[in-house]
Amino acid sequence: MSNFTADIRIEGLRKSFGGQDVLRDVNLEVPAGSIFGFLGLNGAGKTTLIRILLGLLQPDAGRCAVAGIDPQVQPIEVRRRIGYMAENQTMYSWMRVKELIEWVARFYPAWDATSAEDLRKQMRLDPDQKVGALSKGQTSRLALLLALAHRPKLVILDDPTLALDPIARRDLLRDVIGHLQNQGITVFFSSHLLYEIEPICDRVAILHDGRILRCAPVDELREKVKRLVFQSSDRIDVAKLAGLLDIQSYDSQLAVTVEDVAATRRALGPILPVREVDLNLDEIFEAYVIGRREAPHA
Amino acid sequence: MFIRLESSSAVPIYRQIVDQIGYQIANGTLQAGDRLPSVRELARRLPVNQNTVLKAYILLEGDGLISRRQGDGTFVADAPPATKKTERLKQVAGILGQAAAQAVHFEISRPELHQLLDEEIEKLTNGGRSP
Repeated sequence: MSNFTADIRIEGLRKSFGGQDVLRDVNLEVPAGSIFGFLGLNGAGKTTLIRILLGLLQPDAGRCAVAGIDPQVQPIEVRRRIGYMAENQTMYSWMRVKELIEWVARFYPAWDATSAEDLRKQMRLDPDQKVGALSKGQTSRLALLLALAHRPKLVILDDPTLALDPIARRDLLRDVIGHLQNQGITVFFSSHLLYEIEPICDRVAILHDGRILRCAPVDELREKVKRLVFQSSDRIDVAKLAGLLDIQSYDSQLAVTVEDVAATRRALGPILPVREVDLNLDEIFEAYVIGRREAPHA
Repeated sequence: MFIRLESSSAVPIYRQIVDQIGYQIANGTLQAGDRLPSVRELARRLPVNQNTVLKAYILLEGDGLISRRQGDGTFVADAPPATKKTERLKQVAGILGQAAAQAVHFEISRPELHQLLDEEIEKLTNGGRSP
């Protein structure tokens, strides 16, 4: 495939539950040191893929390497090497913050108590507070601390902002930039909100219906995916448009969203659109996920 | 330095940063010699990817608006007035571009558009915005 060093490499991964395909032939590479946005609607298969990466689930076919290790062969080693944070992580609510930190530390041979203490101070967590009494924002900071204190070079965040209010969400994204990107840690950040991960990510992959629909640098998505508006009288042959994501027809106009605007314009030759519309990332995501690819009836 | 990112905008984030810093230099909010936040600092504050801020700073440097001194920091350049003028024109051209697109879309003729612009300027120069 490509020649950068990848911290996660996934090839031909498949998984089904009770005859229902959840992942169908997923291929993905996460470059070392990048912040990688893993985007999909709830139920798209994100968590299933992450559970396979952590060695908690066996795939039906395909293989993957996480930080150079095959999670199917060495699941415990993978979980020791990487950091993991989920949205609804169970934490022992009756413990105090410092007790939970000490308890989790025992599972990690590489735990760094000094670094854990530094993080605790930076994240403004009171060591004597009961975990059950923390706010959601504080709980997410504690979960991030627990995922980082063994100094992993790869961290997987599974929809970490799902239950957070906008301020706690922003704080968490700030921590991802300030603590993780600063230290060159690779971040695999899953989310169902494109506008949320766009600002902090280098690359985004869109998972839908068990497949990766597109994997690209964020700016490239914005530069290439556009909506073109034509007069219906131009009689565009939509069946021939490559990389077509969505078609909508209005009174006398036809709006098509395409994957690569330059390629489409070349293919159309002399036919010029009335307008070329820039899209924000939520609109791009929507075009991929719920776009209509068939010509409307006249 | 105040920067406000529009998350639902179709303008890429590095562009929004370039435009807003360029605007603040053009209107004098940022003066020659002023220190800009470091890439890491601004990335954390916004929060956006460090590479996005770096890309914005490199573009601003290419336009001669800021200078990045190794190990010292990033500063507003002692820009010759011509650069500032160019930057101001660019800012206005961006807004007029949107207006022109709308006008074409609404089938407003050139003379009509020019007249509208003249009227708007008239309002500003003849004692305030109120009619």
